[in-house]
Amino acid sequence: MALDLTMPVLVVDDYKTMIRIIRNLLKQLGFDDVDEASDGTEALGKMKERRYGLVISDWNMEPMTGYELLKHVRADSSLTKTPFIMVTAESKTENVIAAKKAGVNNYIVKPFNAQTLKGKIEAVFSD
Amino acid sequence: MKGTNIMAPATPEQLSHIVDFLKRERRDLSLEDVMVLAERMAATLDETVARVDTLLHDEFRAIVGEIANLRRDIGGLRPDHMRFERIPEAGRELDAVVEATETATTTIMEAAETIMAADHTDVEAYKALVDAKMIDVFEACSFQDITGQRIRKVVRTLGWIEERLGQLSQKLKISDVDNDPENESEAERRQRELILHGPQMKGEGVSQDFVDDVFAISGQDDIDKLFG
Repeated sequence: MALDLTMPVLVVDDYKTMIRIIRNLLKQLGFDDVDEASDGTEALGKMKERRYGLVISDWNMEPMTGYELLKHVRADSSLTKTPFIMVTAESKTENVIAAKKAGVNNYIVKPFNAQTLKGKIEAVFSD
Repeated sequence: MKGTNIMAPATPEQLSHIVDFLKRERRDLSLEDVMVLAERMAATLDETVARVDTLLHDEFRAIVGEIANLRRDIGGLRPDHMRFERIPEAGRELDAVVEATETATTTIMEAAETIMAADHTDVEAYKALVDAKMIDVFEACSFQDITGQRIRKVVRTLGWIEERLGQLSQKLKISDVDNDPENESEAERRQRELILHGPQMKGEGVSQDFVDDVFAISGQDDIDKLFG
């Protein structure tokens, strides 16, 4: 899978400031088409209307968490191949293992820096 | 049966005899005999009921005494002060902290975004803009002093509540009840099922390096080695 900077990216976080931070970092990396959602339900709705090249999601949101969103995405044949990166403050081992088992492509522990985000996006698209 | 004191309550031994007597299907019993037996049984029951009544009365007096003590102990915790003053005040302080950090973050991000989007062909104008935005950033960072003071007030309130609950727990000799899924609230169930722990303290959560190791492996053997 090649990294295409023109692909639409969906950032899912209930904290507006975090969306703004990720959006700015993505912009620095060359991504211009960045969309946003404030929880898993809104994200799933947007994903059914538009095909995203990458989803970057927080874990802890209401009503639908990023973990539930990931499981919905992997269970839906039309969305299942969407690259999915979890960016979260949930840093217990069981969270990392659960996300990996659910099919997440990569996992970033908050707080993170631009280099980590860049590295994980590149890793996802080099697989 | 004739000639016995019918008002005297029967002893357990006598009662046993009466029961055996009735079981033998005696056909020579008169109505008077049956009346005597009934009255003796009633007298026996009266005494038993009176004994149980006294016992219950004493138990209820003890319970009332305990409730009065409990009310006094809870009153000593100043629950209204806690409920209507200390806890709402702590909530307001935390709201103010969230608001202050949000305002500061927005100011700093706006400054950064303005600098990143600025035209730097005119070096002097660009430097003046950067200097002005840096001042905005310094000013925004002053939130830390005030939020620090607010958080210290909340910590004091938590200490105050902890102390009083500890005193009450000691007086009532209450120990923790084991986690029972039946007593689990909806929010607790959601946290458990969706693995919501929230941020960990420094050094307690896993590092990004650990996460990278987990994602670098594919087989169960490799996972076992990682936790080995």
